[in-house]
Amino acid sequence: MATVSSRPARQLAMVFDLNKCLGCQSCSIACKTLWTDAPGMESMWWNIVNTMPGGGTPKNVFSHGGGYKNGEPVPGTFPPLREFGEAWGFDHEATFSSGGKAAFHPLERDGSSPEWGPNWDEDMGGGQYPNSYFFYLQQICANCSKPACLEACPRTALYRREEDGIILIDEERCHGYRFCAEACPYKRIYFNPGRAVAQKCIACYPRLEAGVAPACVRQCPGRVRHVDYMDNREGHPYKLVHEWKVALPLRPDFGTEPNVFYVPPLAPPAFNEAGEFDETKPRIPDEYLREMFGPGVEKALETIQVEREKAARGEPSELIDILIARDWNDLLGPFTTNPAELDRPPRVS
Amino acid sequence: MTAGTLTSVTAERLGEASPQLLAPAGTPWEKVSETTVSLAPTPLDAQPSAYVRTSWAGRPHGALANVGLSAVVAGDALYVRLRWAAPEPRQAITDNDTYADACAVLFPLDGKSAELATMGDEQSPVQAWHWRAGTALPFVITATGLGTVSRVPNHPVSVGAAWDSGSWSVVFKRGLGEQGVPLAAGASVPLGIAVWSGSNSERAGIKAHTPAWITLKLPK
Repeated sequence: MATVSSRPARQLAMVFDLNKCLGCQSCSIACKTLWTDAPGMESMWWNIVNTMPGGGTPKNVFSHGGGYKNGEPVPGTFPPLREFGEAWGFDHEATFSSGGKAAFHPLERDGSSPEWGPNWDEDMGGGQYPNSYFFYLQQICANCSKPACLEACPRTALYRREEDGIILIDEERCHGYRFCAEACPYKRIYFNPGRAVAQKCIACYPRLEAGVAPACVRQCPGRVRHVDYMDNREGHPYKLVHEWKVALPLRPDFGTEPNVFYVPPLAPPAFNEAGEFDETKPRIPDEYLREMFGPGVEKALETIQVEREKAARGEPSELIDILIARDWNDLLGPFTTNPAELDRPPRVS
Repeated sequence: MTAGTLTSVTAERLGEASPQLLAPAGTPWEKVSETTVSLAPTPLDAQPSAYVRTSWAGRPHGALANVGLSAVVAGDALYVRLRWAAPEPRQAITDNDTYADACAVLFPLDGKSAELATMGDEQSPVQAWHWRAGTALPFVITATGLGTVSRVPNHPVSVGAAWDSGSWSVVFKRGLGEQGVPLAAGASVPLGIAVWSGSNSERAGIKAHTPAWITLKLPK
């Protein structure tokens, strides 16, 4: 019988700083090359970065149900592959032999033009010039404390590791029913059609066990990602989430208590008609940020603003020091081992 | 054909084992009688997942009313054929949100008794031969209750399946003396049936099934 999951002894947590992401997708590629390059996984992006406001991945990512409302499961859907974006092909031959006349654009497997894909809304954003804005939103499996995926599976094919709270899918037990994918409100579970099993981000647990930070964290050139156990009171996640309260869950209204947190985007004020900053009007609408990050977002942004100004005046700010991460290893918590120095690369055994 | 509540079906003796018997429309089956077995939706409140109970509330499932059952012992093997109407077949999983048609026959693991409604329990497990459209090999599963299904590796069950003119025909074959549920000539074994309609996204416990065991009598 599926049971409501209990809390693990320790919980791994991550904080992503949306003010630093360059949208370079180094994290996505690091994950892709490490974990999802096998047949049947072509379309999987366990880590993906999308331009927001935007449709996300899959299309209209937060509108497919799942999660909980008043403690009860919310029915969800699992969007078709085309709404995630298939692994596109390119007709190189036609392009090279046409004397430059054939367009070089991606094709779906059936030869049609794509209608959606990862980060489809690249740099479109929201607002009207000169008050247009956008930010990049990174998503992986958030290893939720109230995991709708795990609790939806009638076969208990998903389980949570006691040592770090990472949720994994036992592919021997998975029968490909996909209730988990429907129930995940963040749509971070994929389906491998060849093997008829669900697959998702594994938080790079074989790397963690070897003391190496997850690939998406370690490969980020923007020093966006912080990782540690949440019970380490000196760790960045604890300090940013619980002490400074500047790192917030994504869409907390989904009720799954995710363990990936976001430092919300701090945009400059809006321009008025005279082309001057109007300090009373935010560039990114408060309502949108509240929807994305919950009611704590305005206070979080105010705290960041205050601490930035302190740092700009040359005064010490623990918060800004953490967010800048001058020493790269500080981002990695206890997972500072260089994978190149291991005898063998960490893989799934 | 037999209508109404069915309690027993007798497998027919049909000479030697033949590869043609694994072809559901194979010539040998033309001589074999078929019994109509009534199916019913599985009870939603017994589903072992609050998500499944909530997401299927008010949504019909298990609408297939009946399935044709034929059984043959040929040589030293049992062949069980299921036939049912599938005007909108789902012959494979083609996308994230598509589900393949499927069927299964269920037995008490000891060949004698087990609770069908719960799919067995710790003391009396059940075993099923499970076919899913688009796969060449069947699964054999054992269970000790709802949500406890696990697959048996290296099992001796084989399957043949075909969809034609609006109907699926699926034949399961297992040697009488092979590993699994005891199947002895002259004995009887309780049998249950389940069918999943892929066009209605049915999978797991969301299916049409026989609410009670049928006795399958094996010829001497």
